[in-house]
Amino acid sequence: MPLDSNFTRFVEVGRVVLLKTGPYAGHIAVIAEIIDHNRAIIDGPTTGVPRQAFPYRHLTLTSLAVPKLPRSAGSGTVKKYVEEAGTVAKWESSAWAKRRAAAEKRRTLSDFERFQVMIHKKSRRDKVRKAVKAAKA
Amino acid sequence: MGLTEYQVVGRHLPTENEPNPKIYRMRIFAPNEVVAKSRFWYFLRQLKKVKKANGEIIGVNVIHEKRPLKVKNFGIWIRYDSRSGTHNMYKEFRELTRADAVKSLYQDMAARHRARFRSIHILRVVEVEKTEDIRRPYIKQLLEPGLRFPLPHRVGKARSTFVAHRPSTF
Amino acid sequence: MARKELVPGIGRLSRSQVYARRQLYKGKKTGTAPAKPEAAPTKEVQVKGSKNGGSRLVPTSKAPRYYPAEDVPKPKQSRKTAKPTKLRDSITPGTVLILLAGRFRGKRVVFLKQLESGLLLVTGPYKVNGVPLRRVNQAYVIATSTKIELGDFKADVKYNDSYFSKSEKKRTRSAEDEFFEDGKPKEKESFPESKVADQREVDKVVLAAVKKTEYLAKYLKASWGLSKGEYPHQLVF
Repeated sequence: MPLDSNFTRFVEVGRVVLLKTGPYAGHIAVIAEIIDHNRAIIDGPTTGVPRQAFPYRHLTLTSLAVPKLPRSAGSGTVKKYVEEAGTVAKWESSAWAKRRAAAEKRRTLSDFERFQVMIHKKSRRDKVRKAVKAAKA
Repeated sequence: MGLTEYQVVGRHLPTENEPNPKIYRMRIFAPNEVVAKSRFWYFLRQLKKVKKANGEIIGVNVIHEKRPLKVKNFGIWIRYDSRSGTHNMYKEFRELTRADAVKSLYQDMAARHRARFRSIHILRVVEVEKTEDIRRPYIKQLLEPGLRFPLPHRVGKARSTFVAHRPSTF
Repeated sequence: MARKELVPGIGRLSRSQVYARRQLYKGKKTGTAPAKPEAAPTKEVQVKGSKNGGSRLVPTSKAPRYYPAEDVPKPKQSRKTAKPTKLRDSITPGTVLILLAGRFRGKRVVFLKQLESGLLLVTGPYKVNGVPLRRVNQAYVIATSTKIELGDFKADVKYNDSYFSKSEKKRTRSAEDEFFEDGKPKEKESFPESKVADQREVDKVVLAAVKKTEYLAKYLKASWGLSKGEYPHQLVF
C-alpha cells in the first residue's frame, strides 16, 4: 500500500500524536488503531493518556512513529513497544517539545522572574551589539 | 445525544383464560428508558395481540457494551419507510459499541434519505467478525493491512490577523 | 423637610440635599438653647352661667384632636456589624505588592502589616522607589509570589490608622483666604522630622533584607506595566 507520497506524516498504527484539546491537551499518545476517517483509538500508557477514541481534528501528527506496532495492540503491548523505541525520550529531545516546554516555562514565571529574564536579555543584547560593532570595525 | 441499548421485558396481564401469559423480551435502542418502553409497546402491538392498556412491563435493563474500547464492524438490517414506500436495507458501520453504530445509522439515514427516527425500524445489529464477510467498500477500505493516510489541508489557528509566513497546511 | 418621609426609613431629601438645606457647611451648630420656664399644666378659667359651677381647671395646651389610628412602622434596626477585613492569603509580611491605583500606581512595594481598618501598611522602601510608609487598600493591589525575608521583624504598634490621619484644623475662613493670608502664598509645611526618622528606621530592616537577593532592589525600583499581548488574568505573579 505505501506509495510514493509527498507527505511525511500519516495516520497509521504507531504514529505518535500530540493532543491539542481535552483534559490531556499537551500530552503525546500513540495511535493504536484507526477507527475511520475521523477518529482513531489512541493510547499513552507512559504519558498518562488513557486509551480512548480521539478525533483527528483535535490532535496533531508528529514526525515520530513507533515502528512495527501491531494493529489494535493492548495497552501493555503499546507500553512495551513505546519503551523499546524510546519514543518519549525522542519526543522530549525534539526541538518541538523543547520549544513547547520553554514556552510553558516562560508562561509560568513569576513577576520577579520575568524581570530577571528582561535584565538578562538586555545584557545579552548589549554584548551582542558590542561584539558586532567590534567585528565590523 | 447518544443512544442506549435497553432490554425491555413485558407480557399480557394475566386473565382467567390465560393465567400465565407469555413473556416477551426486546432489545431496543432508545435515548432513554421512557422512549424504550414506548418503543417496546409500539413493536409488540404490531407483532402480538398485546397493548399497553392490557399489558405490563416486567423490567427494563441497560445492556452495556462488553468491550467498549475494541473497534468492531457492525452490520445493521433496517426497515425504512420512505416517502414513496417501504424498503429494507443493510448497512455497515465501524464503531466501538452497538449503540454508537445505531446512532450513526440514524445520522446516516437522516443525511442520505432525510429519514426520521419514527420511519426507521432496526431489525438486526450484528458484529461482523471476519474481514471477508464485510460487504461494503467504505468499510472494506479501512481494513486493509498497513493502512495509512495523510491529513491534507490542515488549517491551524493563526496567532493574529497578520502573520509573516503563510501557514503550512500539511 | 428632610424629616418628611416618603416611606418609613426613606427620607424625601438625599443626604447631600439635607446638608445643603440645613446649611451644614457653615459648621455644626453647638451650644444649648436657654432653658425655658416650665409652664403650668393647667389653668383656672372662670365660667359664666349659674349652673356651671363658677370656675374649672383647663389644660393650658389642648390635647391634639387627631390621634393616629394606624401605627407608622419604624424602620427595623439593623443588628449587622461589619466583619474585620480579611487579609488575602497571598499577602504576608514581606510580600512584594504591585500598586494599581493612586499616586504610586505601578510601583512595587513591600507589605509590612495590616492595620485595624483593614488597610495595608506598605513601604517602598522610600530610598529604592520613593514610596513612603503608606496605607493602601488591598483591592487595589496585585500580590506577587515574591517574598522578602523580613525574619522576626514586626512593624511597630505606633503605625496605626491615626498615625496616618491628618491633624484636624479649625478652619474659620475659606481655604483660599488662609492660603494667601499675608498677600503671598503660604510656606509649605515641612515633613515632620519624627516621620522621617520612622521611615529610615523601618527601611533599614527592609533594605538589608532586599540586598540579600540579586536584582531585587532593581526590581522594586522598576515599575510594572502591561505590554502588547499581555493580559493580567493570563499572567502568573
